[in-house]
Amino acid sequence: MSDAAVPKQKDMSEPMLGALLLLPAVLLLLLVVVYPIGTLFWTSLHSVDNANPQAGEQWVGIANYLRAFDDDRFWHATLQTVIYIVVTVPGALVVGLGLALLANQPFRIQWPVRLSLLLPWALPLVFAGLIFRWFFEYQTGIVNDLLARIGVEPLGWLSDPTLATIAICIAIIWKASSFMALMLLAGLQTIPKSLYEAAEVDGASKWQQFVEITLPMLRPSIFVALIFRTITAIQTFDIPYAMTGGGPGDATETLAMYIHKSTLDFLDFGYGSALAALMFLFSMVATSGYLRYTRRSSGRGAEE
Amino acid sequence: MKLSKWLLTATLAVAFAGSAWAQQTTLRIFTGGQQRPDVMRKIADEYSKRNPAVKVEIEVGGATSEAQQQYLSTVLSSKDSALDLVLIDVIRPAQWAAQGWAEPLDAYLGADKAKLLPTYLKAYADANQVNGKLMALPYFADSQFLYYRKDLLEKYKRPVPKTWDEMMETAKLIMDGEKSPQLQGFSTAGAPIEGTVCTYLVPLWGAGGEMTKDGKLNLDTPQARQPFQLYGRMKQAGVLPRNIAEIATDRIRIDFQAGNVIFAMTWGYVWNRAENDADSKVKGKVGVAKLPHDVGGSSATCIGGWQVAVSAFSKNKQEAVKFARYLSSPEVSKMQAIMASHIPVFPSVYKDPEVLKANPWFADALPVVESAKSRPVSPQYPQVSDAVRGSMNAYLAGTKTTDAALADMKNKLAPIYK
Repeated sequence: MSDAAVPKQKDMSEPMLGALLLLPAVLLLLLVVVYPIGTLFWTSLHSVDNANPQAGEQWVGIANYLRAFDDDRFWHATLQTVIYIVVTVPGALVVGLGLALLANQPFRIQWPVRLSLLLPWALPLVFAGLIFRWFFEYQTGIVNDLLARIGVEPLGWLSDPTLATIAICIAIIWKASSFMALMLLAGLQTIPKSLYEAAEVDGASKWQQFVEITLPMLRPSIFVALIFRTITAIQTFDIPYAMTGGGPGDATETLAMYIHKSTLDFLDFGYGSALAALMFLFSMVATSGYLRYTRRSSGRGAEE
Repeated sequence: MKLSKWLLTATLAVAFAGSAWAQQTTLRIFTGGQQRPDVMRKIADEYSKRNPAVKVEIEVGGATSEAQQQYLSTVLSSKDSALDLVLIDVIRPAQWAAQGWAEPLDAYLGADKAKLLPTYLKAYADANQVNGKLMALPYFADSQFLYYRKDLLEKYKRPVPKTWDEMMETAKLIMDGEKSPQLQGFSTAGAPIEGTVCTYLVPLWGAGGEMTKDGKLNLDTPQARQPFQLYGRMKQAGVLPRNIAEIATDRIRIDFQAGNVIFAMTWGYVWNRAENDADSKVKGKVGVAKLPHDVGGSSATCIGGWQVAVSAFSKNKQEAVKFARYLSSPEVSKMQAIMASHIPVFPSVYKDPEVLKANPWFADALPVVESAKSRPVSPQYPQVSDAVRGSMNAYLAGTKTTDAALADMKNKLAPIYK
């Protein structure tokens, strides 16, 4: 900053200076990202015997991972997580796109529309889970009340594995679609109006305009939104935790819930870390798949 | 110049505050929201009045025992000294001892220990000792009781049932007579929560079964199937609520208090709420008795209740132990009994006229509490609990048969009891 400092550093090459300026960011990343992940992998290779913590951490190699592959509950939780991903990622995309298109209409008063878009997103996940749990509650829930009005017997939404999965998916889609909509709305607003005007002149129908202009122009936003949604779907925890606690039995338990249970309830840090490492890999594979696909299919626009 | 003056003032201020703090000890105690923190506040204020140098802060967290333990696991695994005392569930001492979270109290009590322990109900003196070491002091007792509707039993001229079959018959008779679709015959915890462990254990014990024997798993007996079969029959008869697999502890009270339950298996706190809450529809109609058992078996119930442990990471252990001893005294036991109808841990308090005036049913409660049994003691109790309640919950939800639920439970328990 001061003039006196400049001559002293005259001999510093540009790459050196660059590296120096990057250093704080790199150190911060090492501290808050690389170190914890490294510790996680390290712990996953040890047995942390919770019945006898004085014994310390024993090196067990990949035994925790082998145990996971042999653990029915792990596979079930993984399958359940995959169900949530497969249902809620496209589900939230479709609902979110609908909401974004709606919000993009030239309303005279914009704020109520924007607010109702923001609200589910601003709500803490556990709140959303609790609200939907009350909706689907057997005796006092609004869903069974509505069913009763049309003459349908009340359903045990939260105590039947299939119904509980459906109820949880509905809650997740409701919660996630508003974030989707926000990202897509931002994308929609970057599409120049002139394109639609030109299409109008050429006699394209609204549907053709949507398919030929909106969707292709929106593609980068859709991909970014999908990546975000997929990563959060892999980590699904709060909503099923609040709605069913994983029940009935372990039927609606996700991988993240099983990790939480192994680590915080059972205090089996070694095994919990191994499960978390597997989920991390799973998440990496899914995201890199997306990224590769975006890079290949749209040369421009997706860099952001 | 200005800066150095400011620094000097700041240093002096800190030094002053420091010396004032040295005389004043602040103890921080953690309690769950259901263990009446308001009553503990009054007790702590009384303690501060007598010991002006001690201030007590109460930290309230976690509505359920599991939620509290999750929070505490995080705090104590990082050896945080913020908490001096913790109210722990009766199922926890073994785990707390193994983890080294609770300060063993033997050295602090010295010769008093031998005098103190026999004054408690035996089950509580036992539950708080792990391998001969005293890990915590009992704060209040609890157990499950059979709550019933006195008015309905009188209306249909039925006695208080002694066996499960009698109870089912009576419930069915009343349900058929009342014709209210809201009315549940028998309610108990069925959700995947800690209380559901007792939903399995009580009928098991009532049939003369035990989950473990000499430290080994003992679930290949015919009695191990009995709880599933009992609830299966109840479900078929329509005696259980249809959403039994969703029912958590406090839901039983809410339904009972709304007048929608004939028989309920639940904990001691319900009596006070059902008799005193403004919205209770069953005031003066509540009966409490021993839980039913099988023909040939005898009544048993799950021991519950809360203990005061001193954190191994506390910086005020001496003061903390003193406060713990106050919290676990007949005097405080009596205060709790009157203010919160918390069940005393001292047999002597049950006969106190003021206590009996506030809780006439305590006279009948003593033999029930004395018949209470411990859930399996294990440092890995959270896993034991998860296995039992998971199977029971899946069975009640109708997603697993008796064989599948029992097999699943045995699979999960096998590595713990190898």
